[in-house]
Amino acid sequence: MTLRNTTTRWGGVSQFLHWLIVALILTQVILANIAMDLPIGVRKLAMFARHKSVGLTILALAAIRLLWRWTNPTPPLPNTLKPYERTLAQVTHAALYLLLFAMPLTGWMMTSARGFPVSWFNLFQLPDLVPRNQELYEAMKETHHALAYTLGAVVFLHVAAALKHHFVLRDDVLRRMLPTARKPG
Amino acid sequence: MSPSTSALLRTAVLAVGVLQAALAAEPGAATHYTLDPAKSTLEFQFIQAGAQNKGHFGKFTVALDLPADNAAGGKLEVVVEMSSLDTGDKDRDDTLRGSDLFDVAKNPQARFASTQITRTAGGYDAVGKLTIRGTTRDQHVAFTFRTTQEQGKTVGYLAGKTTLKRLDFGVGQGDWKSTEWVGNDVTVSYSLRLVSAPH
Repeated sequence: MTLRNTTTRWGGVSQFLHWLIVALILTQVILANIAMDLPIGVRKLAMFARHKSVGLTILALAAIRLLWRWTNPTPPLPNTLKPYERTLAQVTHAALYLLLFAMPLTGWMMTSARGFPVSWFNLFQLPDLVPRNQELYEAMKETHHALAYTLGAVVFLHVAAALKHHFVLRDDVLRRMLPTARKPG
Repeated sequence: MSPSTSALLRTAVLAVGVLQAALAAEPGAATHYTLDPAKSTLEFQFIQAGAQNKGHFGKFTVALDLPADNAAGGKLEVVVEMSSLDTGDKDRDDTLRGSDLFDVAKNPQARFASTQITRTAGGYDAVGKLTIRGTTRDQHVAFTFRTTQEQGKTVGYLAGKTTLKRLDFGVGQGDWKSTEWVGNDVTVSYSLRLVSAPH
């Protein structure tokens, strides 16, 4: 496996970023749910602080991933796809990239509007994206939550499609995002 | 009236005048100041989750006696109504007022009373007793002080900051004893407008 993408499969860097972001998003869901259930106190504060740090990490990784995608070949979708399936795949992928930015950014705006500046793992402080504003905080909170459910739905579609390619269509779409992929057939 | 009597009287009048002037500028004559709350701020800064956060107190009183040439004879007294704290977030403010932090129900006020004020290169240093959450400790309070005349009144501007450790005063019980998510150091900044008042 090469580090760069080829015209037939994803390279090591793309695969690493894809699966690292998958792991971090799962971490985010867990941290957010633990934090929301805790009573106000140090533990809640700590859980949300970790959630914010991981979110900032995803934001940075999303930017790197997009740059990498733009400077690398993209393995094309299989020719067997119907036009609507091709459009659906493109829309789903675009939505995933969009959400990789929108989720952290709305979260960051939410905490800034609330008046809680963020740091990255207690190492350095980041600037506030917006000034303190209660109404903006409420709006960003609703948006952040709505986007989280949207992300869940799009991920479901993405995973369902990948599994269909692998088990029903028996093509290499899933395997080309896996390190041990072999040529089909 | 003979010329000599007249001269004597003139001398006496002059002497009284000089004495009055001397009394007015008498070194050590304390000037008493009280707070102008509308133009004064008392803020605190702390680290929460790796980021600088701040708040302020809305209600506090300050009494300062500071003789012009005799700082050692001065006295600074500050009383802060702890429930007037404001960090811009209701949940956080309520938490700070709670029993694990400032415990305002049992300790509604924090106090500072100087025992000695000394002149320093940059201004003044008041050393005294600081009481927060019922715990009293020695504390240095550094400040600058300058006076001006505003509409015939002497007005003093006192400013500075001092850092203290919240856990020295028991501000942080239970989980809050940890300094991982809320730092131990708290910087208190003050910018006060003081007006001279009759003693």
